[in-house]
Amino acid sequence: MPTSFYPSADDLLRFSPELILSFAGTLLMVLDPFFRHIQGKPAPRIFGHLTIAAFIAAIFGAIAANAVPGSSFSNLLIVDGYATFFRVLVLTIGILAVLISYRYLAKEVAETSEYHALLLFSVAGQCLMVAANDLIMIFIGLEISSIATYILAGYLRNDKRNNEAALKYFLLGSFATGFLLYGVSIVYGITGTTKLDEIRTALSNPGLSLVAVSIAAALIIVGLGFKVSGAPFQMWAPDVYQGAPAPVSVFMATAPKAAAFAVFVRVFMTSFQQIATGWEPLIWISALLSMTIGNFAALTQTNLKRMLAYSSIAHAGYILVALAAKSELGTAAVMFYLAAYALMNIGAFAVVIHIAGKGERHLRIDDLAGLAQKQPLTAALMTVFVLSFIGVPLTGGFFGKFYIFRAAVESDLIWLAVLGLLNSAVAAYYYLRLLVVMYMHEPGEAVQALEPMSAGLDIALVLSAVGTFILGVLPGAVLNFARNSASLGR
Amino acid sequence: MHKLWLIPALPFLGFLINGIFGRKLPKLIINAIAVGSVALSFIWVLLVASGCDWGAIPLRAQYFTWIKSGPFEVGWDYSIDKLTVIMLMIVTGVGSLIHVYATAYMEHEEGYYRFFAYLNLFMFFMLNLVLAGNYLILFVGWEGVGLCSYLLIGFYFVKKSATTAGNKAFIVNRIGDFGFSLAMFLIVINFGTLDFRRVFAAAPGKPVEILTAIALLTLFGACGKSAQIPLYVWLPDAMEGPTPVSALIHAATMVTAGVYLCCRSAAIFMHAPVAMETVALIGLATAVMAATIGLTQFDIKKVFAYSTVSQLGYMFLGVGVGAFSAGIWHLMTHAFFKALLFLGAGSVIHACHGEQDMRHMGGLKKYTPWTMMVLACASLAIAGFPGTSGFFSKDAILTAAYAHAPWMFWVGVITAGMTAFYVWRAFWMTFFGEYKGHGHPHESSWVMLAPLVVLAVLSLAGGFLFNVPKMLEGMFPLAEEVPGEGTLMGISIAAGLIGIALSYYMYVVNTTLPAKITSALGGVYTLVSNKYFVDEAYDAAIVTPLVEGSTAVLWHGVDQGVIDGFVNNVGYQSKGIGDILKRIQSGNIRSYATWVVLGSVALLIVMGFVKGLPQ
Amino acid sequence: MNLLDVLILIPAIGFFIALIIPRAMENAIKMLALIFSLVSFVVSLGLAYGYRTGQSGLQYMTDFVWIQNPEIHYHVGVDGLSLWLIVLSTFLTPIAILISWNYIHNRVKEFFAFLLLLEFGLVGVFSAWDLFLFYVFWEVVLVPMYFLIGIWGHDRRIYAAVKFFLYTMAGSVLMLVAITFLYIHAGTFDYATILAQLQSGKLALSHLQETLLFLAFFIAFAIKVPLFPLHTWLPDAHVEAPSAGSVMLASVMLKMGTYGLVRFCLPMFPTAAHENAPWISILAIIGIVYGAAVAMVQPNMKKLVAYSSVSHLGFVVLGIFSFTQLGLDGAVYIMLAHGISTGALFALVGFLYERRHSLAISDYGGIATVAPWFATMFLITTFASIGLPMLSNFVGEFLVLQGTAQSNFAYTSFAALGVILSACYMLWMYQRVFFGETNEEVKHHVYDFNLREWACVIPLVAVMVWMGIFTQTFLPPVSESNDKILTQIRMSADLKAATHSPVASLKVGANTNAH
Repeated sequence: MPTSFYPSADDLLRFSPELILSFAGTLLMVLDPFFRHIQGKPAPRIFGHLTIAAFIAAIFGAIAANAVPGSSFSNLLIVDGYATFFRVLVLTIGILAVLISYRYLAKEVAETSEYHALLLFSVAGQCLMVAANDLIMIFIGLEISSIATYILAGYLRNDKRNNEAALKYFLLGSFATGFLLYGVSIVYGITGTTKLDEIRTALSNPGLSLVAVSIAAALIIVGLGFKVSGAPFQMWAPDVYQGAPAPVSVFMATAPKAAAFAVFVRVFMTSFQQIATGWEPLIWISALLSMTIGNFAALTQTNLKRMLAYSSIAHAGYILVALAAKSELGTAAVMFYLAAYALMNIGAFAVVIHIAGKGERHLRIDDLAGLAQKQPLTAALMTVFVLSFIGVPLTGGFFGKFYIFRAAVESDLIWLAVLGLLNSAVAAYYYLRLLVVMYMHEPGEAVQALEPMSAGLDIALVLSAVGTFILGVLPGAVLNFARNSASLGR
Repeated sequence: MHKLWLIPALPFLGFLINGIFGRKLPKLIINAIAVGSVALSFIWVLLVASGCDWGAIPLRAQYFTWIKSGPFEVGWDYSIDKLTVIMLMIVTGVGSLIHVYATAYMEHEEGYYRFFAYLNLFMFFMLNLVLAGNYLILFVGWEGVGLCSYLLIGFYFVKKSATTAGNKAFIVNRIGDFGFSLAMFLIVINFGTLDFRRVFAAAPGKPVEILTAIALLTLFGACGKSAQIPLYVWLPDAMEGPTPVSALIHAATMVTAGVYLCCRSAAIFMHAPVAMETVALIGLATAVMAATIGLTQFDIKKVFAYSTVSQLGYMFLGVGVGAFSAGIWHLMTHAFFKALLFLGAGSVIHACHGEQDMRHMGGLKKYTPWTMMVLACASLAIAGFPGTSGFFSKDAILTAAYAHAPWMFWVGVITAGMTAFYVWRAFWMTFFGEYKGHGHPHESSWVMLAPLVVLAVLSLAGGFLFNVPKMLEGMFPLAEEVPGEGTLMGISIAAGLIGIALSYYMYVVNTTLPAKITSALGGVYTLVSNKYFVDEAYDAAIVTPLVEGSTAVLWHGVDQGVIDGFVNNVGYQSKGIGDILKRIQSGNIRSYATWVVLGSVALLIVMGFVKGLPQ
Repeated sequence: MNLLDVLILIPAIGFFIALIIPRAMENAIKMLALIFSLVSFVVSLGLAYGYRTGQSGLQYMTDFVWIQNPEIHYHVGVDGLSLWLIVLSTFLTPIAILISWNYIHNRVKEFFAFLLLLEFGLVGVFSAWDLFLFYVFWEVVLVPMYFLIGIWGHDRRIYAAVKFFLYTMAGSVLMLVAITFLYIHAGTFDYATILAQLQSGKLALSHLQETLLFLAFFIAFAIKVPLFPLHTWLPDAHVEAPSAGSVMLASVMLKMGTYGLVRFCLPMFPTAAHENAPWISILAIIGIVYGAAVAMVQPNMKKLVAYSSVSHLGFVVLGIFSFTQLGLDGAVYIMLAHGISTGALFALVGFLYERRHSLAISDYGGIATVAPWFATMFLITTFASIGLPMLSNFVGEFLVLQGTAQSNFAYTSFAALGVILSACYMLWMYQRVFFGETNEEVKHHVYDFNLREWACVIPLVAVMVWMGIFTQTFLPPVSESNDKILTQIRMSADLKAATHSPVASLKVGANTNAH
């Protein structure tokens, strides 16, 4: 099609989520001072409300965009089911992230607009990533999202842990992004394009050095592997997740991860499919390492956030298994699992935030002791998430796992499936500890001092619980959507 | 239809009523129910026996399918033939008498109703055993009587020795049943059924080794019930139970079930000569060994207990040498005189206020004349005194033994002598000399004596009244004529008389002699009087190793040590891995960066070499 | 919406209602649980009443798509094999509720809710006819039992609960892989279809594949059974669990394993089953003798009964892998009989614990004097579990041993030793607990049954006797479906390898039990 400078209406529509988010973000910054002047009143929740509104609007935008699928901005963006799925996912995560932040920020007396603005920008970046059809676009989106997250990680600026986390994340992040750029440039050098589909076609014609391409692919794996905290590039995750403010940690563990995976899959299933035999072993090696390191390291953790950080590494491993299957089924599995994982993880973190209290004083696993007696409902919901983590049927986690390992078996990676499932049996051990302390120990001081749930957390909890449950009992709709939009690079 | 089911049903009904409501009921009604139910079924047996013409026999009654799995089916079938009728009469007849006796004997006992409930339940199972039309129904009775004997031996359940004896009885029987069940399995495999008629009809056609195996396994079961070597050890201990129980279960009826089983399976045994020989040898060995032990006992009930073992040995000898009907005959007469001996002993013990040691008795003849008289009858019978019931049956067996192998006859005769000796030894020690016990002995009530008198009559005249071999004619081959039967008879009579005379000399005339002989024998005596230390040997060889081994090796060793040790160790090791990973997580940015670099290098290498590049 | 669906639904509904009721209204919750469980028992009786032998295929069958992609069906139905196991579950749940009536003081709401959830899972497991659905129910059962042990158990409850969960989990993940593999190659989770494809050779497995799949299923089931040497979770779980937990665990949950063996392992992988039968049978025999021997020396009543279960379940496995009609029928019959007798034992032991607050045998003695009826009922139960004729267990044990004898006489002669030992450990325990002098503690604390306890005991004892005498109430449907399974095995066995030696032995087993 002839590319004109002026974007068409469709282009704008397809781009609407990013537009809405960035506009809303800027708006918040501008509005900030006005609300700052109101004194003696309880700190304003308005920022949060606006943000949620923006996210919802963006979701509508994304869905509307899906009505007119196709590529835009001279094929830099592509809006397909796949992109929409992930857009909606990250936007939903954004909403939940805001919900679980209200009380937290109030406690820390840090209800500024920046926090929400940064959330918006970060999600905007992720929306761009998942819809990008061009390595450069991907890189830009990645950076937008990352930079916002770097800052969020250190949001409470006079908290040492925050600063350390932010610094680590920033330095290592940029370091890894270097690898990514390397890869991108090599690919461009060989194929003369950065558009994913064009790379694919370019690679299909013989006589260009696949060796170099493979190296490029490897470098890109390093960059993205870092973002999804897959071994051996997972080192940063525990420290950062533990150090960052709880709502931010869970946001980092879900949204950017989901986006990064989306890119990962799109790039490798679209552009690099010819050399799949080359990169497949790297993926399953990384998968195996992530699962094993994540689970075994989690066994001995005593700090909730840190344990969940390791568990998120393990879950990244499971998802990599699906990628290693390098089939549409695998892609669908990745999509489904990320959705399920986001819900259960946010839910679990919501409980953690609830327990932790001001200044995140109570972060030991034992601080959950006796929760079931003090607040049975909270404990019950937490149980749902834990069971989903373990992968017990009738929860989203189970179906996610089943879908992943089915994809693996179908691609004759039975041994990988077996190892993965045995891993999840190991994981059961440390997840069960949560249930043990919640139900089988007497209430500890953390629980004794517990105040009732805040509305925001409650909503987030219930939403994620219901979501987890629905994904477990009636996953049909989501599964089908994933299956139908999993056909990349066609 | 003869309503055979009524025979066991009546006692069972008695059991239910007494068992459930007994606690509330007055003694009189309990008695009525207990005795009445058994008496009625005795009458019914008589009716059935007289009612059916002996040509039509065996009668069969099939009630319902008990077990059916695929082509294999076992029905709840009863059948009676001549053998059954005889057994039925013994069981119900002697049973009723003992029930009557017990009403008086147990009068002052705790759990009176319980006792009679158990007794009726026993009758039910025993009759079931006898009436059974196939092996499995027989096995039901077989196990059931075991249960009742367990309950009745342990009737005084506060006494540890009693309950232990109960356990011993049941467990040893279980060991026997192990053999019996294996026999049944073999039967099903080779005959496809457990039904008596079909099995026995097909038996002649089967290979000998199969039949032998079945017969030997059956014999093992019989050894358990009928207290033969090597499984006789439970019977002496079983005397912990109330005396009527010893009389009914451990003398007259249950312990003879083994003999009955062998006779019932005659069709199999007769075609398995090796098995027959084994039966004879076990019987003989048991007879001798038990008799020798009997010589040295002082507890009056123990004496009779060993005598029972010994007499059962006789019966097996009879069966083994092919004289089945002789065996059954002795089974019957033994039921009479041994029941009488025990009941008499009971009466004596009653008289001596629960004393059982004969050394603390003596001189009872002036206190309990009736008891003495009836015991005299029984002792004559068991000694094989001419004309008494015991004489006929024992003689029949010995003759058959001679026909089979003369040496067996001689051993049998010696045993007969010993039997006569120790029974009469007991008699003299109890009734002669002067009373060495405590308190003032007294004769028992007529309720107790009446059954004794009846039994006394039977012990004396039983041989004339019931000529079992004649009755069973046609079922079993008749014992062939032996030349010089008269002399043999004479020899066995002589043996009996010598035994009696000798005991009279040693325990009435020259009462110091026994002590001298004892000291003279020294070691041998200790060995025998301690029952050849068989119990101790079994304990050391089987029980202790089993218990110790299970505790030390299996439970603590394998279960907790090896398996759980492994399981827990897995968990422990995983934690260890976790710690190592923790240590790698230094928290130092530079090291992390290094890891990233190393990781990427590793990936590149893998990409390059391990998997190899496409094209 | 047929009777079976109703039966599956009732406990689920009860569970949710129990969750809604405010926790303060404890009695209301108890009553609710009791009523729901009783209703489902009645319904299950209706199920048994309406069941028709002589009909091919499932009865009370419902089948609709639950999830399109992958196509997972809610496909449930009953055949002779599952019928009585379902009834067993519904029969024991109200009893479990009754025995917990006063025993549970804290968190009453959760406890009874979990019991209902457990019942839901159990009924589901036994009626699922879609492999995926089966796996779902299989895991669902895990959760409530984990909490029952972990929250209301004794001192080492947490260790026991976690051990229980992990053991089972480790096994079932393998099964999940196997199920997935089958799905991918058969294109469906529907058991009947998969079976048909396997037998018609449409879905042909290589020898290695079949063996591995068999083992994957087998291990999952063997852990549940539990088969020696995978049994060590059981004593801990039993000892620590509250009596209701022990009852459900021993009576029904163990049967999930044996049920799985009969239902899935044999028909789907006949050749592998035959080839592995020898060592499995030997493990079963070891389990029989070993379990009994270890039970013999236990100082703790519950542990003793737990090990006795290991022994009894050994018989079941032995019967299953005898590949004979009698063996299979007997195996199923023991499943039911053991469910009743062991359930009763745990209930009675639980009553003792409520009175005397101890499980140590040595703390008791002379109960027969102070509580004669208690002693009587315990005695009947004891002899039922020893395998006395005319009581429930005998029939099963006889058939199993007979069936095994047909396929391998040596096995039988070793296994029968277990029958001797069972008499030893049960009678020795009974003697030490109920006979002898009554010690002070017992005199003061132990009293005879109250009405509620009678309500638990009488049905149990009645069923023991009924099962001992009128076996035809239960056996025909069982025999029928076992016969079907055996024919299936033979068909595919012949198809696989006519000259296969174990198959030949199977033929022998098949013929010798004909007249």
